[in-house]
Amino acid sequence: MSTRLIGASADSVEAATAPLRALDLPPRPRNRARNGLAIAAFALFTIATCVPAIGGIEVDLGALVRNWSNGSGLLVQLIQPDFSFLPRTLEPILETLQMALVGAAAAALVSVPLTLWAAAPTNPNGVTRHAVRTVINVLRAVPDLVYATVLVAMIGVGALPGLVTLFLFNVGVVVKLVSEAIDSGDHAYMEAGRAAGGSQLQINRATALPQSWPLFANQWLYALELNVRISAILGIVGAGGIGRLLDERRAFYAYDDVAIIVLEILVVVVLIELVSTTLRRRLV
Amino acid sequence: MNARTAPPLPPSRPSRTAASLWAIVVGGVVIAATVGLRIDWSELGDVPGDVLRYSTLMFADPNWERLPRALFEMWRSISMAWIGAILCVIVSIPLGMLAAGNVGPSWVRLPLRVVFAIIRAVPEVIIALLLLTVTGLTPFTGALALGIAGIGTQGKWVYETIESAQEGASEAVRAAGGSTAEVARWALWPAVAPALMSFALYRFEINIRTSAVLGLVGAGGVGSMLANYTNFREWDTVGMLLIVVVVVTMIMDAISGAIRRRITGGPRITEKRSRHVVGIR
Repeated sequence: MSTRLIGASADSVEAATAPLRALDLPPRPRNRARNGLAIAAFALFTIATCVPAIGGIEVDLGALVRNWSNGSGLLVQLIQPDFSFLPRTLEPILETLQMALVGAAAAALVSVPLTLWAAAPTNPNGVTRHAVRTVINVLRAVPDLVYATVLVAMIGVGALPGLVTLFLFNVGVVVKLVSEAIDSGDHAYMEAGRAAGGSQLQINRATALPQSWPLFANQWLYALELNVRISAILGIVGAGGIGRLLDERRAFYAYDDVAIIVLEILVVVVLIELVSTTLRRRLV
Repeated sequence: MNARTAPPLPPSRPSRTAASLWAIVVGGVVIAATVGLRIDWSELGDVPGDVLRYSTLMFADPNWERLPRALFEMWRSISMAWIGAILCVIVSIPLGMLAAGNVGPSWVRLPLRVVFAIIRAVPEVIIALLLLTVTGLTPFTGALALGIAGIGTQGKWVYETIESAQEGASEAVRAAGGSTAEVARWALWPAVAPALMSFALYRFEINIRTSAVLGLVGAGGVGSMLANYTNFREWDTVGMLLIVVVVVTMIMDAISGAIRRRITGGPRITEKRSRHVVGIR
């Protein structure tokens, strides 16, 4: 291409007067077959999701319109929060916050050894490393409320199944993210430890761990943020916190009470995020 | 001379008083929260035993007879997730573009961003739940609710992506006399399309999880089946369902992740092709 360009620019006046034609543009890259295939796959998948016979969803706009006229009154209620309901929400929201904090703290303790097990530089043993990673990946594949549902059935209604849910969920998040960060880091200092004749445990203790504290702290705070959101909904399946009250008021169609609960959750979530962001900025 | 005889003092250790104080405060708050929770802590010791006992009931001999039904319901959940993701993307791309600093006017931009922030701050499940009460609990309304609940995060991703796109192409189009729409089409869109497609797939992955949760509250799909069989205490079926959820979710994640990497990373250059490139040079 470049030789042609130079040739053209050094050419006669003829070429200079009609430069655009002479230097006809390179052809646009075309991957018609590939793009066609991608679009076909997309379309097929989308169509398959709309076939009720195989489990797809039934697109029924008529029912939607009918229900909408019934339910629109609720949305009007939603923008008129009933502030006299506020005192009754304080105890459940406190329980929500307590669950979030305790779950995050317990997970933080457990996450440190597990993370060092799951990262390649801190655990050269491939068998245990993959074992821990597989467990973590399976933990993460189950949605939080599914845990809570099953745990409520196992342990009974209350804050305890919620706490266990948050704990399991946080361990999954922290171990995965921090071990990946350790994996992708540069580890010259660990080599120094090895050269000095340290065992893996000593190397981890003296070099990897101090290097990883900011990573850990960052993810612990992130886990706390996530917990506040999750523990707000855990009550829907009976696992304690404000979600129980929310679900109860929703079932009574008391959307003015629901509005105040949602507003409260919103305020709490934003506050926790502000605190967490400030702390994280100081850490980094 | 003196310096040689007396070895230099090691630097004094940095003060750790502040850190220790903070540790004590945080520890105190955590302990207070633990004590304040209305949990009978003696039950905590039973939890591992309970979990082990029920896990044996669930996974020792999962009930595979209901597998076809479970896959049917799982596909329903995936469908909810997919349609919800499409809706979410269709709405959030134009809105996110308008909310981007270098595209929309400020009187459009700021209200949009506030709306995104509010939707983002309320947990998705709550938004979906409130909408479902109004529209009725069906898989279709579940998909709609997923679509709307995801707009907050998706819209933010869109405007952040656009704002981080290189200015050069936009300036070139503007210099050639292009209108805002033309800038969006010819400068911004080619630059951000791969990232946006990747975010769309990511939304699908998130929705798969959320749709299972919506099923728990009655929107249909695998979550509803799971909630039912948990209430019946048919643990062998619950175990089978959990296996289905985990395996299918992980497979979908893997496929979607591979496509995302292909979109953002470009094709893998095989040895044959790279030799060809060198040959041209």
